[in-house]
Amino acid sequence: MKTSPMTKTSTQVVIQCGCMMVIAFLLMCCFVIATHAAELNVPETVAAGSSLSIPTSGSGHATLYVAGPGTAIKRSVQLGQEIQLTADDLQDAGRYDVSLDGNSATFLVTAGPVQSIAFLARPSRVPANTPNVISGTALLFDKYQNLVLQPQPVKFELSVDGQSVSRTEMTKYGVAFTKLDSSKKEGPAQFVASSGPASVRRVVQEVASDPCNIRMSAERDKSGIMLRTDPIRDCAGNPVPDGTIVTFTSTDSQGKNTVDARIKRGIAQAQLPASTNATISVASGVVVGNEIQWRGER
Amino acid sequence: MKLLPRISPALLALAAFAFVLLSQRADSVFAASVPSVAINVAKAGPRPVEDTTQKAVARDYASAWQAMADALDQNRADLLGANFAGTANDKLMATIQAQGRTGLHQRIIDRGHTVDAVFYSSEGSAMELHDTARLRLQLMDGDKIVHSEDATLHYVVLLTPAENSWKVRVLEVVPAF
Repeated sequence: MKTSPMTKTSTQVVIQCGCMMVIAFLLMCCFVIATHAAELNVPETVAAGSSLSIPTSGSGHATLYVAGPGTAIKRSVQLGQEIQLTADDLQDAGRYDVSLDGNSATFLVTAGPVQSIAFLARPSRVPANTPNVISGTALLFDKYQNLVLQPQPVKFELSVDGQSVSRTEMTKYGVAFTKLDSSKKEGPAQFVASSGPASVRRVVQEVASDPCNIRMSAERDKSGIMLRTDPIRDCAGNPVPDGTIVTFTSTDSQGKNTVDARIKRGIAQAQLPASTNATISVASGVVVGNEIQWRGER
Repeated sequence: MKLLPRISPALLALAAFAFVLLSQRADSVFAASVPSVAINVAKAGPRPVEDTTQKAVARDYASAWQAMADALDQNRADLLGANFAGTANDKLMATIQAQGRTGLHQRIIDRGHTVDAVFYSSEGSAMELHDTARLRLQLMDGDKIVHSEDATLHYVVLLTPAENSWKVRVLEVVPAF
């Protein structure tokens, strides 16, 4: 029986492919065995700033490659001797690849103990006696500026004039945060975040919040009506800061007169035109003070 | 038609040979493309992440990876641009310097990032991401590939906002989340 040229060619191709597959399989087996024989033994993790010894087998020289964060090493090493990676080589946390003579291994460098804190405190100026108005975020780093990912306690403490509030939070992936009430008393609050030996201080200026009430008095002077408030304080008794605007308004048959005055040394004062029959009011922000019915001579 | 079965194996072999040769050529400049970044903000807190912030973070984080891939491949610190700050920037600069001294470079073929925002500070001044990145990492000595690996890596990332973009301040590999 004759076979066509086409059939013959296909058979040859199949045989060739089969042979190639067998050869490839044998080569793979050899490669796997060789790789296993020269396997690099490295630990899974190494603490940042530690040295590391990697045993090798065989003889002769080979080129060592190490790639990691902040590092790239290429050097000739003697096979059969231990490879030394120094503490300086392994300062930065992250993944390191080691390659030697066609074999590779990876390990992680992890952060060491807490050495420093990055502390974000907001805002820098807050009204006193207000709930959940001060926020603090702490990020923990080791001596090589690696983020410390193991959970650590962070103490947040806010103190003004001897009175303090503190709260301890655990970090999660290097971050801890808190929210605190501002103190009843105004003044520069010391906001401190501490963890282990590390501590960072920020100052949050606590100022009086809105006036609690405003009381004014009126008297006649040479050119009109002189209005003057009592010392203006918030509900915790803190003097409202100088510069806060107080608005005096007079309404009479001629119309309305308005004067904005700033608090100076704790009080606000303004002069309004003379009037025989006026209603005078005072306000600051959303707080309205007393009202005076003025009966006088022009 | 009869020639086809004879020619095809030869063509295939030639194509494979050419591919292997080309893939070994590393002296040509490699330009990373902007990787895909899928970001989920459902777990972020204490402050919720606004839509515009989410888009900006995804854009800037992808840009940072592209810049890092180019900078590490070409050993050019200037390619990092304004994408990095603080310790992340310092460490990348140190890596590039060390690579330059030893004649090594790294090629990162980025196959995408699945990112969870896990922390966004209440005043909006810091954001932490957990990134699961699918990468092909190649360590190269000149034009020779020393090590090549397809890996899925987990990164803890800290971002801080600048005037008009988010900067990577910390970028650390962790074993898992």
